[in-house]
Amino acid sequence: MDNTTQIVITAITLLGSAGIWKYAEARLRVKAELKKEEKSESDTVLYRDDLKKRVEEMDVALKEANKELLALTEKVAKLETENTFLRREIDILKSK
Amino acid sequence: MERSKSRYAEALKLVRKILTQLKEVWQYSDSQPTEITLAGALAVLFPIATYLEIGYAPIIQMPAIVAGLYQLYCVSGDCINCRVRASFITFCFYAVGAVLYLYKGYYWQGASYWGWILLTFSSFGSLKRIKKEQLHRNNG
Repeated sequence: MDNTTQIVITAITLLGSAGIWKYAEARLRVKAELKKEEKSESDTVLYRDDLKKRVEEMDVALKEANKELLALTEKVAKLETENTFLRREIDILKSK
Repeated sequence: MERSKSRYAEALKLVRKILTQLKEVWQYSDSQPTEITLAGALAVLFPIATYLEIGYAPIIQMPAIVAGLYQLYCVSGDCINCRVRASFITFCFYAVGAVLYLYKGYYWQGASYWGWILLTFSSFGSLKRIKKEQLHRNNG
Protein backbone atom coordinates (compact mmCIF):
# COMPACT_ATOMS: atom_id res chain seq x y z
CA MET A 1 0.00 0.00 0.00
CA ASP A 2 1.54 3.32 -1.00
CA ASN A 3 1.77 6.36 1.23
CA THR A 4 -0.87 8.40 -0.61
CA THR A 5 -3.48 5.66 -0.20
CA GLN A 6 -2.64 5.37 3.47
CA ILE A 7 -3.01 9.11 3.98
CA VAL A 8 -6.28 9.28 2.04
CA ILE A 9 -7.81 6.30 3.89
CA THR A 10 -6.65 7.64 7.24
CA ALA A 11 -8.01 11.13 6.54
CA ILE A 12 -11.38 9.85 5.33
CA THR A 13 -11.73 7.45 8.27
CA LEU A 14 -10.74 10.12 10.76
CA LEU A 15 -13.34 12.51 9.35
CA GLY A 16 -15.95 9.76 9.38
CA SER A 17 -15.10 8.75 12.94
CA ALA A 18 -15.21 12.36 14.10
CA GLY A 19 -18.60 12.81 12.43
CA ILE A 20 -20.01 9.66 14.01
CA TRP A 21 -18.71 10.72 17.40
CA LYS A 22 -20.11 14.26 17.06
CA TYR A 23 -23.53 12.80 16.32
CA ALA A 24 -23.33 10.30 19.20
CA GLU A 25 -22.06 13.00 21.56
CA ALA A 26 -24.93 15.34 20.65
CA ARG A 27 -27.44 12.54 21.29
CA LEU A 28 -25.87 11.78 24.66
CA ARG A 29 -25.96 15.47 25.58
CA VAL A 30 -29.65 15.78 24.67
CA LYS A 31 -30.48 12.65 26.65
CA ALA A 32 -28.54 13.93 29.67
CA GLU A 33 -30.33 17.30 29.47
CA LEU A 34 -33.73 15.61 29.27
CA LYS A 35 -32.87 13.44 32.26
CA LYS A 36 -31.77 16.49 34.21
CA GLU A 37 -35.00 18.34 33.38
CA GLU A 38 -37.10 15.32 34.34
CA LYS A 39 -35.22 15.08 37.58
CA SER A 40 -35.68 18.76 38.41
CA GLU A 41 -39.42 18.61 37.65
CA SER A 42 -40.19 15.50 39.68
CA ASP A 43 -42.51 15.79 42.72
CA THR A 44 -39.87 14.63 45.18
CA VAL A 45 -37.43 17.31 44.08
CA LEU A 46 -40.13 20.01 44.15
CA TYR A 47 -41.17 18.91 47.65
CA ARG A 48 -37.54 18.94 48.79
CA ASP A 49 -36.97 22.41 47.36
CA ASP A 50 -40.15 23.65 49.05
CA LEU A 51 -39.00 22.21 52.38
CA LYS A 52 -35.58 23.81 51.98
CA LYS A 53 -37.20 27.18 51.30
CA ARG A 54 -39.44 26.86 54.33
CA VAL A 55 -36.54 25.89 56.60
CA GLU A 56 -34.59 28.93 55.40
CA GLU A 57 -37.58 31.22 56.06
CA MET A 58 -38.10 29.74 59.51
CA ASP A 59 -34.43 30.17 60.31
CA VAL A 60 -34.62 33.89 59.46
CA ALA A 61 -37.82 34.27 61.51
CA LEU A 62 -36.21 32.51 64.49
CA LYS A 63 -33.21 34.84 64.42
CA GLU A 64 -35.50 37.91 64.31
CA ALA A 65 -37.61 36.55 67.16
CA ASN A 66 -34.47 35.99 69.24
CA LYS A 67 -33.43 39.61 68.68
CA GLU A 68 -36.88 40.87 69.69
CA LEU A 69 -36.83 38.66 72.78
CA LEU A 70 -33.47 40.08 73.79
CA ALA A 71 -34.75 43.65 73.35
CA LEU A 72 -37.85 42.88 75.41
CA THR A 73 -35.78 41.31 78.21
CA GLU A 74 -33.64 44.45 78.26
CA LYS A 75 -36.73 46.67 78.49
CA VAL A 76 -38.22 44.58 81.31
CA ALA A 77 -34.96 44.82 83.26
CA LYS A 78 -34.92 48.60 82.79
CA LEU A 79 -38.54 48.92 83.88
CA GLU A 80 -37.91 46.75 86.93
CA THR A 81 -35.05 48.98 88.01
CA GLU A 82 -37.12 52.09 87.40
CA ASN A 83 -39.97 50.58 89.35
CA THR A 84 -37.71 49.83 92.31
CA PHE A 85 -36.44 53.42 92.40
CA LEU A 86 -39.97 54.82 92.08
CA ARG A 87 -41.19 52.63 94.94
CA ARG A 88 -38.33 53.85 97.05
CA GLU A 89 -39.16 57.48 96.23
CA ILE A 90 -42.82 56.87 97.10
CA ASP A 91 -41.78 55.37 100.41
CA ILE A 92 -39.57 58.41 101.16
CA LEU A 93 -42.36 60.81 100.24
CA LYS A 94 -44.85 58.89 102.38
CA SER A 95 -42.56 58.94 105.35
CA LYS A 96 -42.22 62.75 105.10
CA MET B 1 -49.73 -27.33 24.91
CA GLU B 2 -50.44 -24.81 27.68
CA ARG B 3 -47.42 -25.98 29.61
CA SER B 4 -45.07 -25.55 26.69
CA LYS B 5 -46.51 -22.07 26.06
CA SER B 6 -45.83 -21.00 29.64
CA ARG B 7 -42.33 -22.44 29.45
CA TYR B 8 -41.74 -20.52 26.24
CA ALA B 9 -43.00 -17.32 27.88
CA GLU B 10 -40.74 -17.89 30.88
CA ALA B 11 -37.72 -18.48 28.67
CA LEU B 12 -38.52 -15.35 26.71
CA LYS B 13 -38.83 -13.37 29.94
CA LEU B 14 -35.47 -14.70 31.14
CA VAL B 15 -33.78 -13.81 27.84
CA ARG B 16 -35.25 -10.29 28.01
CA LYS B 17 -34.04 -9.90 31.59
CA ILE B 18 -30.53 -11.05 30.66
CA LEU B 19 -30.44 -8.70 27.67
CA THR B 20 -31.61 -5.75 29.79
CA GLN B 21 -28.97 -6.48 32.42
CA LEU B 22 -26.26 -6.85 29.80
CA LYS B 23 -27.32 -3.51 28.31
CA GLU B 24 -27.14 -1.89 31.76
CA VAL B 25 -23.68 -3.37 32.41
CA TRP B 26 -22.53 -2.30 28.94
CA GLN B 27 -23.74 1.26 29.47
CA TYR B 28 -22.83 1.93 33.08
CA SER B 29 -20.11 -0.43 34.28
CA ASP B 30 -16.62 0.80 35.11
CA SER B 31 -14.72 1.11 31.86
CA GLN B 32 -11.15 1.42 33.16
CA PRO B 33 -10.22 -2.27 32.57
CA THR B 34 -11.55 -2.03 29.00
CA GLU B 35 -9.67 1.22 28.47
CA ILE B 36 -6.43 -0.33 29.73
CA THR B 37 -6.89 -3.36 27.47
CA LEU B 38 -7.68 -1.19 24.44
CA ALA B 39 -4.77 1.14 25.17
CA GLY B 40 -2.35 -1.77 25.63
CA ALA B 41 -3.53 -3.39 22.41
CA LEU B 42 -3.20 -0.07 20.57
CA ALA B 43 0.32 0.54 21.83
CA VAL B 44 1.61 -3.01 21.27
CA LEU B 45 -0.66 -5.17 19.13
CA PHE B 46 -1.83 -2.56 16.63
CA PRO B 47 1.59 -1.49 15.27
CA ILE B 48 2.92 -5.07 15.12
CA ALA B 49 -0.19 -6.54 13.51
CA THR B 50 -0.58 -3.77 10.95
CA TYR B 51 3.14 -3.89 10.15
CA LEU B 52 3.05 -7.64 9.55
CA GLU B 53 -0.24 -7.74 7.66
CA ILE B 54 -0.55 -4.40 5.90
CA GLY B 55 3.03 -3.27 5.70
CA TYR B 56 5.03 -0.32 6.90
CA ALA B 57 2.66 2.60 7.56
CA PRO B 58 4.49 5.11 9.74
CA ILE B 59 1.68 7.69 9.77
CA ILE B 60 -0.53 5.14 11.54
CA GLN B 61 1.82 2.84 13.44
CA MET B 62 4.03 5.42 15.15
CA PRO B 63 1.24 7.66 16.49
CA ALA B 64 -0.70 4.54 17.56
CA ILE B 65 2.00 3.75 20.13
CA VAL B 66 1.87 7.31 21.45
CA ALA B 67 -1.96 7.24 21.54
CA GLY B 68 -1.97 3.95 23.45
CA LEU B 69 0.51 5.25 25.99
CA TYR B 70 -1.44 8.51 26.28
CA GLN B 71 -4.62 6.60 27.12
CA LEU B 72 -2.78 4.56 29.75
CA TYR B 73 -1.52 7.82 31.23
CA CYS B 74 -5.06 9.27 31.26
CA VAL B 75 -6.57 6.19 32.93
CA SER B 76 -3.90 6.27 35.60
CA GLY B 77 -4.56 9.97 36.24
CA ASP B 78 -8.37 9.54 36.48
CA CYS B 79 -8.98 12.88 34.71
CA ILE B 80 -12.31 12.42 32.96
CA ASN B 81 -11.72 15.01 30.21
CA CYS B 82 -8.34 13.46 29.41
CA ARG B 83 -9.94 10.01 29.31
CA VAL B 84 -12.64 11.15 26.88
CA ARG B 85 -10.00 12.69 24.61
CA ALA B 86 -7.75 9.63 24.74
CA SER B 87 -10.67 7.26 24.13
CA PHE B 88 -11.74 9.26 21.09
CA ILE B 89 -8.20 9.05 19.68
CA THR B 90 -8.10 5.30 20.36
CA PHE B 91 -11.46 4.85 18.64
CA CYS B 92 -10.15 6.76 15.61
CA PHE B 93 -7.10 4.51 15.38
CA TYR B 94 -9.13 1.32 15.60
CA ALA B 95 -11.52 2.69 12.99
CA VAL B 96 -8.57 3.46 10.70
CA GLY B 97 -7.25 -0.06 11.28
CA ALA B 98 -10.64 -1.61 10.50
CA VAL B 99 -10.96 0.43 7.30
CA LEU B 100 -7.43 -0.49 6.21
CA TYR B 101 -8.21 -4.17 6.64
CA LEU B 102 -11.43 -3.64 4.71
CA TYR B 103 -9.51 -1.88 1.94
CA LYS B 104 -7.08 -4.81 1.78
CA GLY B 105 -10.01 -7.24 1.60
CA TYR B 106 -8.88 -9.28 4.60
CA TYR B 107 -12.37 -9.68 6.05
CA TRP B 108 -13.25 -12.14 3.30
CA GLN B 109 -10.08 -14.15 3.85
CA GLY B 110 -10.59 -15.11 7.47
CA ALA B 111 -12.93 -14.44 10.39
CA SER B 112 -10.05 -13.69 12.75
CA TYR B 113 -9.61 -10.31 11.02
CA TRP B 114 -13.09 -9.31 12.22
CA GLY B 115 -11.46 -8.72 15.58
CA TRP B 116 -10.60 -5.24 14.32
CA ILE B 117 -14.29 -4.48 13.91
CA LEU B 118 -14.87 -5.81 17.41
CA LEU B 119 -12.11 -3.58 18.76
CA THR B 120 -13.60 -0.58 16.95
CA PHE B 121 -17.04 -1.22 18.47
CA SER B 122 -15.50 -1.88 21.86
CA SER B 123 -13.55 1.38 21.78
CA PHE B 124 -16.66 3.27 20.66
CA GLY B 125 -18.69 1.72 23.50
CA SER B 126 -15.97 2.62 25.96
CA LEU B 127 -15.90 6.19 24.63
CA LYS B 128 -19.67 6.50 25.03
CA ARG B 129 -19.53 5.18 28.58
CA ILE B 130 -16.86 7.69 29.62
CA LYS B 131 -18.73 10.54 27.94
CA LYS B 132 -21.86 9.56 29.88
CA GLU B 133 -19.85 9.55 33.07
CA GLN B 134 -18.48 13.00 32.22
CA LEU B 135 -21.97 14.38 31.55
CA HIS B 136 -23.24 12.80 34.74
CA ARG B 137 -20.42 14.40 36.74
CA ASN B 138 -21.00 17.80 35.13
CA ASN B 139 -24.77 17.71 35.65
CA GLY B 140 -24.36 16.60 39.25
